Amino acid sequence: MSPLQKVAAILLCTILLLMVLASIFVPAPYARQFRDIPNAGPSTAHPLGTDALGRDSLSRLLYGTRVSLLLAPGASLLSTIIAALLGSAAGLIGGWFERIVLALTDLSLALPWLFLLLTVRAMLPLDVPPMVSVVIAFLMMGLLGWQSAVRVICAATRGIRDSDFLLLARSTGCQPARLLLRHVAPNLRPLFYVQFWISIPLFILTEANLSILGLGVMEPMPSWGNLLRGFENFSALAANPLRLVPLILLVLVVMCFQLVLPSQEVTQ
Amino acid sequence: MRQAWIFLTLILVLGLPAAVRAETARQSGGELHFCLHGEPKTFNPLLVEEDASETIRYLTGGVLIRLNRQTQALEPGLAVSWKVSQEGRRISFHLRSGLRFSDGTPFTAEDVAYTLKALMDPQLHSPTGDSFRSGEGQVDVQIPSAAAVVVTFPAPVAGLERLFDQVAILSAHSPKKEMAVLGPFYVADYSPGSSVLLHRNPNYWKKDKEGKPLPYLDSIRLDIQRNRDIELLRFRRGEIQLINALDSESFDSLQKEMPAVAHDAGPGLDSEQMWFNQVPSAPLSEYKKNWFRTTEFRKAISMAINRADLCRIVFGGHAHPAVGPVSPANQFWFNSSLPVPAYDASGALRLLAQVGFRLEGGALHDSSGNRVEFTVITNAGNKSREQMATMIQQDLSSIGIKVNLVTLDFPSLIERITRTYDYEACLLGLVNTDLDPNSQMNVWLSSAENHQWNPKESKPATAWEAELDRLMRSQASAISDKKRKADWDKVQQIVAEQQPFIYLVNKDAMSAISSAVVGSSPSVLDPHAFWNAELLRLGGDLALGAQK
Amino acid sequence: MLRRLLLIASLGLVAALFSATLVRFAPGYGVEERELDPRWSAESVEALRHKQLLQEGLASFYFHYLSALARGDLGESDSLKRPVRELLTQRLPVTGSAIVRGLGVAWLAAALLASLGLSSRSWLYEASGTAFSSLLLSLPSAVVAMLAVHLRAPVFCAISVVVFPRLHRYMRSLLVRSYDQPHVLAARARGLTSGTIFWRHVLPVAAPPLLALFGVSFAIAFGAAIPIEALCDSPGLGQLAWHAALSRDLPLIVNVTFVVCLVMLVANSLADLAGRTVIGASQ
Repeated sequence: MSPLQKVAAILLCTILLLMVLASIFVPAPYARQFRDIPNAGPSTAHPLGTDALGRDSLSRLLYGTRVSLLLAPGASLLSTIIAALLGSAAGLIGGWFERIVLALTDLSLALPWLFLLLTVRAMLPLDVPPMVSVVIAFLMMGLLGWQSAVRVICAATRGIRDSDFLLLARSTGCQPARLLLRHVAPNLRPLFYVQFWISIPLFILTEANLSILGLGVMEPMPSWGNLLRGFENFSALAANPLRLVPLILLVLVVMCFQLVLPSQEVTQ
Repeated sequence: MRQAWIFLTLILVLGLPAAVRAETARQSGGELHFCLHGEPKTFNPLLVEEDASETIRYLTGGVLIRLNRQTQALEPGLAVSWKVSQEGRRISFHLRSGLRFSDGTPFTAEDVAYTLKALMDPQLHSPTGDSFRSGEGQVDVQIPSAAAVVVTFPAPVAGLERLFDQVAILSAHSPKKEMAVLGPFYVADYSPGSSVLLHRNPNYWKKDKEGKPLPYLDSIRLDIQRNRDIELLRFRRGEIQLINALDSESFDSLQKEMPAVAHDAGPGLDSEQMWFNQVPSAPLSEYKKNWFRTTEFRKAISMAINRADLCRIVFGGHAHPAVGPVSPANQFWFNSSLPVPAYDASGALRLLAQVGFRLEGGALHDSSGNRVEFTVITNAGNKSREQMATMIQQDLSSIGIKVNLVTLDFPSLIERITRTYDYEACLLGLVNTDLDPNSQMNVWLSSAENHQWNPKESKPATAWEAELDRLMRSQASAISDKKRKADWDKVQQIVAEQQPFIYLVNKDAMSAISSAVVGSSPSVLDPHAFWNAELLRLGGDLALGAQK
Repeated sequence: MLRRLLLIASLGLVAALFSATLVRFAPGYGVEERELDPRWSAESVEALRHKQLLQEGLASFYFHYLSALARGDLGESDSLKRPVRELLTQRLPVTGSAIVRGLGVAWLAAALLASLGLSSRSWLYEASGTAFSSLLLSLPSAVVAMLAVHLRAPVFCAISVVVFPRLHRYMRSLLVRSYDQPHVLAARARGLTSGTIFWRHVLPVAAPPLLALFGVSFAIAFGAAIPIEALCDSPGLGQLAWHAALSRDLPLIVNVTFVVCLVMLVANSLADLAGRTVIGASQ
């Protein structure tokens, strides 16, 4: 591990620790509105000040970190599994199956995924608890986020398709499914890990994007995207630069994830 | 490293033209520049439904009677005088003579008759036309002379004269059809998705006190800009000279930098309200329906909401607690004897105790032991509504009620409140453009569509709703304004007692007008900043107040 | 070739019709904001709803759409009341130019940064390059859009900022790997200038995967264009798609999906084709 990667890893662990121990650190519950001091600057009671409704910014940041950091890996896992299955199957079988899968991938990139998310949101029963709706949101993202990985996995599978050990396995009459699971997948494992790690920051960012566009986590639950919505008003930012902290944290965490990545080289 | 330099030069080459183009051109004097918030869907004044088209209609249309937005009184427009007779069934106009449309076509009573006949056509479905529909039957339009028009309606129309402020007269003969207009400006150019250019109408009939022809401005450019933040940014840079409707955050930040520019005309007509679903066939559990139908429950919720905090925190003080469907800005029709709702959480709990609700372990339970919990829906993307709902969440949690908040996109929201009735409580705002209560007929009649808490009732579900029906019908057919006001005051009284809508706040009418614009006087009625567009001029500080 | 085009066109249609189905059965279809306006009389609202009902059947919608498409008529937008074809012809160039320029700048910047210090391979170049692209990669595209608005930067800058870091990573690793190939080492040993090495030895080997990357970058750019255009209020295809989704405008969504799909499929096919040609040429 290069020194840069070590630094990134330490940073990530610290943030994770803070997140887990959030309930000890927080000055106040994240939903409690201190109505006398909206938009306050930093103070001893509220180290990062308060937001527009008088809620403690530090608490919201720590709890928001929980939402994003716990759920993004879940979504990433889901999308990696889907991409792995589709990609390796396509690469292995080749021919028309591969072409169909790749075409489907391109198609789903063209579909209005935003609309799908809107729809699922609107179809949920209203008395769904906020946590469940967040989980569902991330699930949806996972189900929709597998496209970029498929091509890479497919290309990699194609690369090892004609290798010796596979030929051997095939000649001994190995079933395709078994071929996939026992021979192809273990060889591509480094690639899957890479994809998993790459996707986590992508989903964190997607959630942030969605919240900024108004489709994110329900109030009063905080999430990074929620916290970033205040950015629309530039002058408020200038007045209280501490509002940049969620963005800085987001950028820091995502950068660390990328730096900590196992080597990106795809062995062919 | 040679290739690095090649790449660098290529990047610069690609990027440079854009940087140059980013500098937008400053407009010359005499052209007012501001923004529309959406595409105008039509240029036909009879079919106007939304804001953008309405702005264009206001600026280009010539009307018979104009409502002065400042004094709230009616002024002669294309009609020099008018007379309402037969108890509101007939109105006769005496028109100005010698006028021409923007393309030169002469204006006669025929054009008025043509416009009115088109408007009253039952096949034409438009808000403007529907406002006149008071009863079954044809509308009769007569032209006794070239400068007189008599219109007879099948049934009395309440507030008849005022409705003509919305009717822009079309030409019966001009080859340009609806593009030939009688207002101060006409549409010279429209580039879809981008902007609308209005030019001064040389044939406009109005002249100023010295006899100079109006309008003073040469042209108005309306850019289509959906994003309010970008609009504000452009205003700061001096690219646009006014913002017609400003929200409280932008108002505050503008006021800090350029105090002369931000104008708060006082409480406006718009209100924000919350209501509970009282539809009997709604897919909710029975015990929840019972809560929502209990008057004491609704009143207690109203008492437990801290409206002063909402005004102070969400709107930065630029709003006032709302008393009922009418805002105090509506000087004539507001019932001033109504008490302002006070924040009283313990009073709310006492009221709830009267109908069997008890507080147990910090949570409120009804008489059958069910935990009081409901979901409020509101539309996504409206920050102040979301903030209000979050504050209401905390207010109600202090009396043990758990409130969930769901933001939906507008079409899904509308579907829930008008078709499936699958919701528990809803928080929305009402945009009131009309002072006259008759425009709210479809809200208060129990059989009507917009009776949001229980639309389209076959017969009134409660005694007070039956009373509301009676009062609304009475004011619609009454002749004297005094009698109508008495009825409407009673309506406001009943609404305050029964709280079918829990009115939260009345937002202030705020606008931003650059110091380069001379002659503006922001009003409480829409359009706040440019209601007197014909009298506006660009002069004064051409630096447009941006850097002073 | 023709078969390929037909395949692309039919895939585009499938996507379009799928999104039509999605929209049609999603909640909120067929309701209009005007229903909340109390000025409408009961008859008008009924007439409005009746008109929606007439457009009910999905199968008939498919049929009408396809037959109209055969005639070149793309229908009329419900919410904007203008022919879809006119809307598309207006907005496609805006988005197109933004994407082309954004991609151009992103590719050039990525190539520049990736090719820096290839031969010397110093720690500084690696670290700074990685750090810079990681930083950009960590910014949510909505934040990039907002920054673009505040800095008065044109839309294509936002797009290039979003695409650049993703390109850079791949390009860097690709170029580094090609640089380590035996024939490149041999060329360096023979004393060829770094310029010649880059253009004649490294690039041709790296070309096929780079071309494949082109298709992917196009897709990324298109995907990023939607929220960016919506936030920057630029009158392009992205904003149209956003508006169409929010207002459940069936004709518009179908056509926009069709166009977007076509564009992406064509881009990918061209990239594949080019890749295969280069491989063929080099063999």
